[in-house]
Amino acid sequence: MTLNEIKVGDTVLLADFSESQPVYFKLISLGLLPGDPVIVMGRAPFGGPISIKHGSETFFALRRSEARQIHVKNKDAKI
Amino acid sequence: MLQQTTATLLLIGFPNVGKSTFFNLLTGGNRKVSNYSGVTVDMGKADIKSEKDGDIRLKLVDLPGIYNLVPSSLDEGVSVKALLNLEGKDGAQKVLLLLDWQRIEASMSLALAVKDIVGAENIAIVINKDDLGEIDSTRRVELEKKLGCRVLPLSALNASPKTVEAFIRGLDLSSQIEPVKKLQITKEALEFLPAGDHSDKIEVMNDTKQITDLINWYHSKARDVLGSLSQPNDAKAILTQKIDRVVLNPWLGGIIFAAIFYFIFDAIYSWAGPAMDLCETVVVGLGEFIGNYLPEGHFKSLIVDGIFGGVGGIVVFLPQIMALFFLFSLLEQSGYIARAAVVTDRIMGAFGLNGKAFLPYMSGFACAIPGIMATRTIPNPRERYATLMTLPLITCSARLPVYILLIGTFVPDKTVFGIFNAQTLSFFFLYFLGSFAALIIAKVLRLSYFKGETGNFIIDLPLYQRPSLKTAFNQAWKKGKAFLTKAGTIILGLSIIIWLLSTFPKPTPELLEGKTEAQQASIALEQSMLGTMGRTIEPVIKPLGMDWKIGVGMLVAFGARELFVSAMGTIYSLGDVDEESSTLREKLVAETWPETGKPVFTLATAWAILIFFVFSLQCTSTLAILKRETGNWKIPMIMFTYMGLLAYGGAYIAYNLLS
Repeated sequence: MTLNEIKVGDTVLLADFSESQPVYFKLISLGLLPGDPVIVMGRAPFGGPISIKHGSETFFALRRSEARQIHVKNKDAKI
Repeated sequence: MLQQTTATLLLIGFPNVGKSTFFNLLTGGNRKVSNYSGVTVDMGKADIKSEKDGDIRLKLVDLPGIYNLVPSSLDEGVSVKALLNLEGKDGAQKVLLLLDWQRIEASMSLALAVKDIVGAENIAIVINKDDLGEIDSTRRVELEKKLGCRVLPLSALNASPKTVEAFIRGLDLSSQIEPVKKLQITKEALEFLPAGDHSDKIEVMNDTKQITDLINWYHSKARDVLGSLSQPNDAKAILTQKIDRVVLNPWLGGIIFAAIFYFIFDAIYSWAGPAMDLCETVVVGLGEFIGNYLPEGHFKSLIVDGIFGGVGGIVVFLPQIMALFFLFSLLEQSGYIARAAVVTDRIMGAFGLNGKAFLPYMSGFACAIPGIMATRTIPNPRERYATLMTLPLITCSARLPVYILLIGTFVPDKTVFGIFNAQTLSFFFLYFLGSFAALIIAKVLRLSYFKGETGNFIIDLPLYQRPSLKTAFNQAWKKGKAFLTKAGTIILGLSIIIWLLSTFPKPTPELLEGKTEAQQASIALEQSMLGTMGRTIEPVIKPLGMDWKIGVGMLVAFGARELFVSAMGTIYSLGDVDEESSTLREKLVAETWPETGKPVFTLATAWAILIFFVFSLQCTSTLAILKRETGNWKIPMIMFTYMGLLAYGGAYIAYNLLS
């Protein structure tokens, strides 16, 4: 399961997102670590960016092509 | 040993933690402050004014925001270079790390990384945005113990500069920072650190994973350090979430975006109108008043036609300039700009640009220069160049006076399509045309010379905050003052030159014999130096429906666009002898072709001029900054040419369609 498949309002846990180095680099720079929960806040129309909330204060958006490279798990799954 | 006289402090932190606000607080400086990342792209230095004698001088250096010490764009490179003192000049005595209490975990990781490189004794931490005073002294002491350096919590918006200065002076500022460890970076990051590969302070790692693991480790460590500290109040985050549900809504998002921008341009156009009329009345009245006391002759003509006609013609646009900067500042402070980048990313992507290009383009509405500088935040050089090369097509504030003058005079003030005002709509159309052309050209560039993959687009969305009216007013005031200064210096000087060129040489008496006063004035203009120049270029611009006077205005505007208005002001004041038309708008309407007696300014001519101004690169400062940012004159010259061709072609089409 990758981040671009998640419905708005759902919380998932980051699994492995080191597949694409640039995306991985940028996300860990923002403070996202494997195992962290993220909430999908919104999806812009016509395949536009997805907005995400991480922790209690970090909001950011990324393109769907990048979200596709981020593997996620259900929040009750074991890491 | 020499007594130490100055100490330099580097301001380092995440983007958008409030470094520039902090810098302004301490130095009384006027760095631009906005609520989105990437506003500061260069280094800013200023002294902290000391009140006591014998204190050493403190120099504060404001740097672009960074997420970690591995730069991924040019602006981030500036900060890393300063931290390591790669240029080997006078180094700094202390690093002030600015952390964001609202995002304490993430921003703490950067503090830990810097601490590792320069040592705990060389850093001090300031935690900003503690608006509710949540970090009490117990928590502060606990943090200081864990980090091994001094910590100061504050809210830069309402902190006392004295307290902060006392904190800084309390630090040991006697020795220069020396890195205690080599900084490990990726090969890609070297591109943003010129001269970094020769430095013994840097170690380039072949395996990127080692670098990402390290960043990862700092973040985990930050969580450990903060573990026991309770989380900040999240009222702002909840509010942000609520607003974003509407603003980033798939269907409402685009409508809200368009509505906000239409509202801004409408406000600039129609709200500032009455204020402009007032300015005009004052300027014209003053000109007539002074004119009555001056004896007829060259001196009166210089004052009334040269200075009041030229400078007065331009200063009346002060309300619009101030309105633009006021509204933009409110918007920038709110945090909406980053959302606008998300809403428009799909469109940007379709034109081969990164969503991040929205931010420089947005700055371009004020002025192309900060916009061009802001392209430094775009990591991919090809995307950066495509953005930079099209940025001057964005309608900047210097085009405002030309647009308002011509639209207000020649587009009828009536309602079209049911709800829109024809003038406002024309105004909006010109803004749209420039932006659309920028995207099209960018696409062309991305398909040809700057071909390549689109870089990644991951954008930070700051928490919303209530915009400060005071900051917005300060910004408007500052820009208004700069506008008036320009009017009082460059434009004044140029108006005098234009007056001289259009008054001398005088026509021979035979030419004036038996002519009416109006004909004499027109002959005098034609025989002047400016008239000769204008006549020479007239064949080039005649196909655009313009006479030589407009041509001269266009030519002068290559120095700076506003000069068009002041040049027109001077030239038409000289040609206008019956003094019936007092404002420049009235003078334009009254102007006729000498051969046919028909008005020079028709709707078609007005639109030809407008379209010309949408496209052409008429700004020497922009050319200079382009040369600085790209290294040579090649790119600026290519831009000057392509924009000139578009301008001429566009004006030709507009004129022929409408006449």
